[in-house]
Amino acid sequence: MAEQTNRYRFNTLLIHGGLTAGPAGATTVPIVQSSSFAHETAEELEDIFRGRMVGQVYTRIGNPTTEALEKRLAVLDGGAAAIATASGMAAITTAVMTIVRSGDEILASSSLFGGTFSLFRDTLANFGIVARFVDPIDLQSISDCINDKTRLIFVETIGNPKLDVPDIPAIAAIAHKAGIPFMVDATVTTPCLARGIELGADIVIHSTSKFINGTGSAIGGAIVDMGVFDWSSSKFPHFAPFVNKYRSFAFTARARKLIHKDFGACAAPMNSFLFTEGIETLGLRMERHCFNALELARFLCVHNKVAWVNYPGLEENAGHATAKRVYNNKFGGILTFGLADRDTAFRFINGLQLAKNLANIGDAKTLVIHPASTICADFGAEEKELMGVREEMVRVSVGIEAIEDIIEDFRQALENI
Amino acid sequence: MNLTVNGKPATIGDKDTLSITELLAELKVETPEYVTVELNGDILERESFATTQVKDGDAVEFLYFMGGGR
Repeated sequence: MAEQTNRYRFNTLLIHGGLTAGPAGATTVPIVQSSSFAHETAEELEDIFRGRMVGQVYTRIGNPTTEALEKRLAVLDGGAAAIATASGMAAITTAVMTIVRSGDEILASSSLFGGTFSLFRDTLANFGIVARFVDPIDLQSISDCINDKTRLIFVETIGNPKLDVPDIPAIAAIAHKAGIPFMVDATVTTPCLARGIELGADIVIHSTSKFINGTGSAIGGAIVDMGVFDWSSSKFPHFAPFVNKYRSFAFTARARKLIHKDFGACAAPMNSFLFTEGIETLGLRMERHCFNALELARFLCVHNKVAWVNYPGLEENAGHATAKRVYNNKFGGILTFGLADRDTAFRFINGLQLAKNLANIGDAKTLVIHPASTICADFGAEEKELMGVREEMVRVSVGIEAIEDIIEDFRQALENI
Repeated sequence: MNLTVNGKPATIGDKDTLSITELLAELKVETPEYVTVELNGDILERESFATTQVKDGDAVEFLYFMGGGR
């Protein structure tokens, strides 16, 4: 894999990264639809359990199809290893619980995706884990909020749906100065806009259900370990046996041998196959998502029924300069915009003929949703404000259809509100 | 060269010493990018694989974090 990474460029690694020849010369990853794996001798299975031999045991712990996906994802982010999970939320839960214990604190972005916000604020609180939320744009606040209990900083590359653009490399520097690991949810940007290792992240999270899948056909997630954080610090005594035995793989070893195995949120082999298929076209799709999103944002900006548009690709956007620097002049496929009020937003969504009204992002198809009444409906006014969710707001995951057709659909829906 | 590899006696090649990198290749160790190597009870740093030599009588263990239980 290291040889491949050195030899090939990113768009080639999307297709060939970690790929080995399949049976009978198959060039796609075989779907190994088996719960468990038989071995010739008792000694062989003992060696696998002791970690002396590579081998598969049980699909909750590992599976050849899922392993192929994991190798590809590790290569793409420049990581040491990856773990595929049942969903993006499963990836976050598994990765976070690998690091924090009761009494520990997480310092997290206040503009997180609602599911993650709820996990941190409510669910983990029941296990004695405290999350403190901070504006990820305010670097001084991040530094000031770190205390002797902080064990993790968690930020999204581009907030969903707030679309704020934190300075990820700068936050990485703050985290590392404090000896704290930095976990980054890169679902919205994917390794195409920035690789985890280049962002300075220690752990990267992907909801593979989104752009990596690209067709809305499966739910999945992934944890990519850069293998660079020093877990031997006194802040992480629970890592000691894994540091001693597995060194740079300490995080992945603890995750895989304890938390992932015990919580059991494993990837389904069929879904892992679908993600390996999707990844091959990720580079081309992200280019088109970014192009179409900018074109649609420009169209909306000058439409007299649109109150405001939020897309980091617009030069006047608050996150533009940071996104331009960190993501190589690419700005992703998500935008939000405001209409007169909630009822107008509903009428607009009801009038769309091409775009789909559903709770997802990253599909080849253009998707819209009214976040305030759906994915963020359970949050109060103050929390919605933190998440950048407004009553008159529509979120768009701009697809890769012909941009003229997307714009025509939006134009006719706007004209009829 | 006679070694103990993963608890079993093994005769390796005709040289007096081999680096860990050479040993991984000689033994066709699977997914060498993920293996942890223990030499005579000490875990080796990955960066030292090319410069650490094994010699007659050494005990080498290969450890994986991937499959299996604990």
